[in-house]
Amino acid sequence: MNTIIYLDNASTTPTDKRVIKKMLPFFSENFANPATKWTSSLSKLVDEEVEQARLNIAKLLGADPDEIFFTSGGTESDNTALKGIAFKHHDRGNEIISIPIEHEAVLKSLETLEGFGFKIKFARVDSKGFVDPEEIKRLITKKTILVSIMHANNEIGTIEPIEEIGKICRERDIYFHTDAVQTVGHIPINVKSFNVDLLSLSAHKFYGPKGVGAIYVRKGVKVKPFMDGGGQEKGIRSGTLNTTGIIGLGEAARLASEEMEQTESDVKKMRDLLWDKIQKQIPKVYLNGAEIDSRLSNNLNIIIKGIRNEPLLVALNERGVIAGGGSACAAGSKYPSHVLKSIGVKDNDIFGALRITIGKFNKIEYVDYVVQSLNEIVNSLRDLSPFWEGE
Amino acid sequence: MYPKIIIEHFMHPKNVGRLENPSNIGTYETLSKAKAVFYFLIEDDIVKDIKYQVAGCPYAIAVGSILSEYAKGKRIFELAKINKKFLEKYFPVDEDKEECINLPLRAFLNGLSKI
Ligand SMILES: Cc1ncc(COP(=O)(O)O)c(C=O)c1O
Repeated sequence: MNTIIYLDNASTTPTDKRVIKKMLPFFSENFANPATKWTSSLSKLVDEEVEQARLNIAKLLGADPDEIFFTSGGTESDNTALKGIAFKHHDRGNEIISIPIEHEAVLKSLETLEGFGFKIKFARVDSKGFVDPEEIKRLITKKTILVSIMHANNEIGTIEPIEEIGKICRERDIYFHTDAVQTVGHIPINVKSFNVDLLSLSAHKFYGPKGVGAIYVRKGVKVKPFMDGGGQEKGIRSGTLNTTGIIGLGEAARLASEEMEQTESDVKKMRDLLWDKIQKQIPKVYLNGAEIDSRLSNNLNIIIKGIRNEPLLVALNERGVIAGGGSACAAGSKYPSHVLKSIGVKDNDIFGALRITIGKFNKIEYVDYVVQSLNEIVNSLRDLSPFWEGE
Repeated sequence: MYPKIIIEHFMHPKNVGRLENPSNIGTYETLSKAKAVFYFLIEDDIVKDIKYQVAGCPYAIAVGSILSEYAKGKRIFELAKINKKFLEKYFPVDEDKEECINLPLRAFLNGLSKI
C-alpha cells in the first residue's frame, strides 16, 4: 500500500487545494504590503483581500470584523490573550482560573505569569475531561481577573461547557478566554452566545496554512500587546501582515462556513465506524475521555491494554497509517500525557494511548484496512509484551 | 525515523515469547513502566535457547531481537561482555535512544549473571 492514510488531523490538517489557489497570487503578483493602501493601488488590492479574510472569520464566529486580529497561530493567540489581559489589568487583581488539560500554549503562559506574581488556580476536571462550571464559580474571588477554559481538548476531544462558564464570568465582570483551536471551522461557534471576551484560533487545524491564526478580542476589551513595532492590527500585533497566510485563513474560514455541517457528518460517520470495528475486533480496548457522542466528532482516543504506543505508531507508519498518541519513549523519562493524567488514566495505560483524529480528506473505504492493520500489529505487540497475559 | 536494521528487527522480531523451562530469567523495568524479560536455557555455559519479551519502543524491541539472535549457541562469558559498543556495530546509537537500548541490554545481562 503506497497511499498514506493520515489519521492525525488534530495535530494538523492538509491545506485545502482551494485555499492554496486563493493564496498563490499574493506571493509574487499581488505581493504588496497592505499598510500602504492609501498610496498604492496594489496595496489596496491586498488590503481588500485581508479585510475579506477578517470578515470571513468574523462571520464564522458571530463576531464583528474589527474584533478579529491576525496572529501567527494558536500559540501566539493564547499568549496574547493570557499575558495581554494579565499585564493590562493587574491593577484589578492577580488571580487567573484555568484547567489542567489546556494546551501547553496556555499552561506555559500561565507558568510565566506565575513568575510575575499572578496566582493560578486550576479547576478539577472529571474522568471524562469535563470541568464543572460550579467549581469555577467557587474558585472566583474579588481578585480574579481572567478565566481561560479551552473549547475542546486536543487529545480527548471533550467539549467544555463554555456557554455556562461565559455567563458566570460575564455576570461577575471577569474576562473569559477560550482556546478554540480545535473547534473553529469544525463546530458552530458564536462568541456572543458563548459570552467570551477572547478566543484563539489557528488556520492549520481546519485546512488552512500553518503559521497563521487569529484572536477575537471583544470590542472594548483592552489587552497589552507583547509585540512592539509598527502598530499593525490596531497595535495588538505589530509586524507586516502575513498576507498570503491571512488570505488562506480567510478562505479556509469561508469554506468551513459553507461546508462544516457536511464535513462534520462525514467525519463522524467514519470515526463511528472505525470505533465500532475496533471494539468488535480487538479485545481490551477502552475509550479515554467522554462518551463517543459527547466529544468532537473527529476524535478517538483509546487505551490498548498491554502495549506501548510508540511501537504501535511506528508499525502503523510502516503500513502507511499515520496516527497520534505522543511518543512515550520506552525508557526515557518523557512526560506522559498531562491530559490523560489529569483525567485519572494510570501511567501504564497512558503509554498505550492511541489518538486517531479523522479529517475531511480521509476516505471511509480505508476503515477496514486501518482496523485490520491495527489488529495485526496489536496482536504481535501483545505477543511481545511481558505485561500481556493473553487476557 | 529509525535506522533500517531497527525497523527490520522491529517489524520481524526473532525469538519472541517465553521458554517453558528456562534455566535463567533476566528482567529490567524502567520508571516509565517499560519492561524487558529474557528467558535463557543455558547448558554447559552455552546458551542453547533464548526467548524474550519487551514492552517498549521499537529500539528496545529490535535490540532484544538482535541480542537473542546473537546469543544462541554462544558461551556465556563471551555474552557477558556485550555492551553499547557491541551494538554500535549494528546501528548508530543515538543519544536520545540510549535508555531504550539499555532496557533490553540490562535485562539480557541480568539473566546471564544469575547463575
Ligand atoms: C488546543 C490547542 N491550542 C493551541 C494549539 C497551538 O496552535 P498552533 O500550532 O497554531 O500554534 C494547538 C495545536 O497544536 C491546540 O490543539
